[in-house]
Amino acid sequence: MTLQDIILIIIRVAFGAFVPLCFVAVSVWMERRGASFIQDRSGPNRANILGFRAGGLVQNLADAVKLFFKEDVIPGHIKHKFYFVLAPIIVCVTALVSFAVVPFADTLVLGGKEYLMQAIPTDLGILWFLAIVGFSVYGIILAGWSSHSKYGMLGGLRAAAQTISYEIPMVLAIISLLVVYGTVSLNEMAQFQGQLLFGFIPMWGVLLQPLGVIIFIIAAFAEANRVPFDLAEGESELVAGYHVEYSGLKFTIFFMGEYVAMFASSAIIVTLYFGGYQIPWFNTATLIKYAVPVTLLLMIVTPVAAKFIAAWIRKNNVSHYERENDPRVREANVYIKIVWGTVILLEAILFLYLVFASGGAADNILVACLQVCTFLAKTTCMLFVYVWVRWTLPRFRYDQLQKLGWNVLLPLSLLNIFVTSAIVVALS
Amino acid sequence: MLTDGLFILFTVFAVTGAAGLVLFKHPMNGAMSFLVTLISLAGLYALLSAKLIFAIQLMVYAGAIMSFIIFVIMFLNIQEEDLPIEEGRFKYLIGGVIIVAPIGLFLSRVIKSFPGADAIITVEGFGEIKEVGLLLFREWLLRFEIVSILLLVSLVGAVVLAGTRRIAK
Repeated sequence: MTLQDIILIIIRVAFGAFVPLCFVAVSVWMERRGASFIQDRSGPNRANILGFRAGGLVQNLADAVKLFFKEDVIPGHIKHKFYFVLAPIIVCVTALVSFAVVPFADTLVLGGKEYLMQAIPTDLGILWFLAIVGFSVYGIILAGWSSHSKYGMLGGLRAAAQTISYEIPMVLAIISLLVVYGTVSLNEMAQFQGQLLFGFIPMWGVLLQPLGVIIFIIAAFAEANRVPFDLAEGESELVAGYHVEYSGLKFTIFFMGEYVAMFASSAIIVTLYFGGYQIPWFNTATLIKYAVPVTLLLMIVTPVAAKFIAAWIRKNNVSHYERENDPRVREANVYIKIVWGTVILLEAILFLYLVFASGGAADNILVACLQVCTFLAKTTCMLFVYVWVRWTLPRFRYDQLQKLGWNVLLPLSLLNIFVTSAIVVALS
Repeated sequence: MLTDGLFILFTVFAVTGAAGLVLFKHPMNGAMSFLVTLISLAGLYALLSAKLIFAIQLMVYAGAIMSFIIFVIMFLNIQEEDLPIEEGRFKYLIGGVIIVAPIGLFLSRVIKSFPGADAIITVEGFGEIKEVGLLLFREWLLRFEIVSILLLVSLVGAVVLAGTRRIAK
């Protein structure tokens, strides 16, 4: 193993482990601000450090501190303490590990060696994801069962039954996708989606499998126990469902696990149906070929974008009433300086690249960085869809939920398999 | 070296898990310890470079079937007082070990005397998803399709049966 191998292993594993955890903060923030945006209010915007509120992100820190210092109670009636403690860990770890096979950039070629840009470089792809998602049920079942109370038990039963029954339409939707792509490896799927349909439309899964994408997204929502399928923690009937007995750090781990699972399933949806890390119309080969023009374009676009962002910050980050020496204006000045500082740094890096490194291995690294950004941007959009749906649709009734799964999604996904296979056979 | 270590780890876990399944009194403990066995078996398959079987073992046995069993255990909500009193179970256990031990010894002899037990039989692409798929669809196509249709029929049948019973009420 050379130094390069070791560095790349560290980078990939760190990406696979830390990015989902960082996105917990981002998605909690997005959930709250999104909720308040949809409900026409401001949302959390007061917590600050020395007057800096970072658009409400500091509220997350305050919440984390609160959760860490809460008393961590194990209720006295719980007999199986081991399972009670194990359950949240299973939920969080399975969610983290299921992200490990998602490629966040195309295969990186450095010095004649190929590196799969996944935390676990394997071509098991979607099979690994399905296997690990199946394990997350254990966390919920164990939590509900070991809580040894009616609410916990009912919540656990509901969640387990729901997850098991929605796994079937999900897998059937994936089968028809496998017929289209002809591979289980997520990286090869993303490469497939870099092609163009009829020469001008990006060949994304969402266009090839319009029915499949709907089934998969619905099933993914149900798997992640999100509204409109969060019967397992329906406040009005079950208080908090399977995590009603949890407090302090153990609840935090449940909470994080839920958001990591949301991130992982958004990443999977993006990889399967929305082109993964592919930038539309610019697949990896094209990007490497036109690395210099793309860099020049970036160097022009970033200051323009920064100007708009700065104007937006200036307009919105003010007090809504008359104040002397408005501290929010002072705050906005600092933010704008940070934005311009980032732009200058980026321009400097791109300039150095153009002058010294273009044409060599740096092209590949540049393309990989661009693809990572694309992937994260797409995943963030998908996360917003989760938030959007949560604050738009009301909760299902439990029998309606099971009926939707078995009587609607199952026949539809079978039909989808037959139609897809017929078309694939007819075209080949 | 690493493979040997992993092999020992997985076998120890597999055997301990299986022993736990027999020895634990509470069904939930038994099921969880059997889960350990299933996962370590998946690890052993991975060491034998059977990648697809590794994934299927995790997905079907450790993921789906065991979660059903645990779901049922949870559904029945078994308390300590519901469990049968097993007196003299250790007597039976020791008796069982004494009966099984010679068979075990005999089997280990048989395995050791296999010709070419230390030969490496994996070829390029052994156990890969593509190779297994090609094998299934070339040599075993009819049987594979019959099994898949059987599973599909049972899936649809379960939905239909569950649906009609509700209407009859």
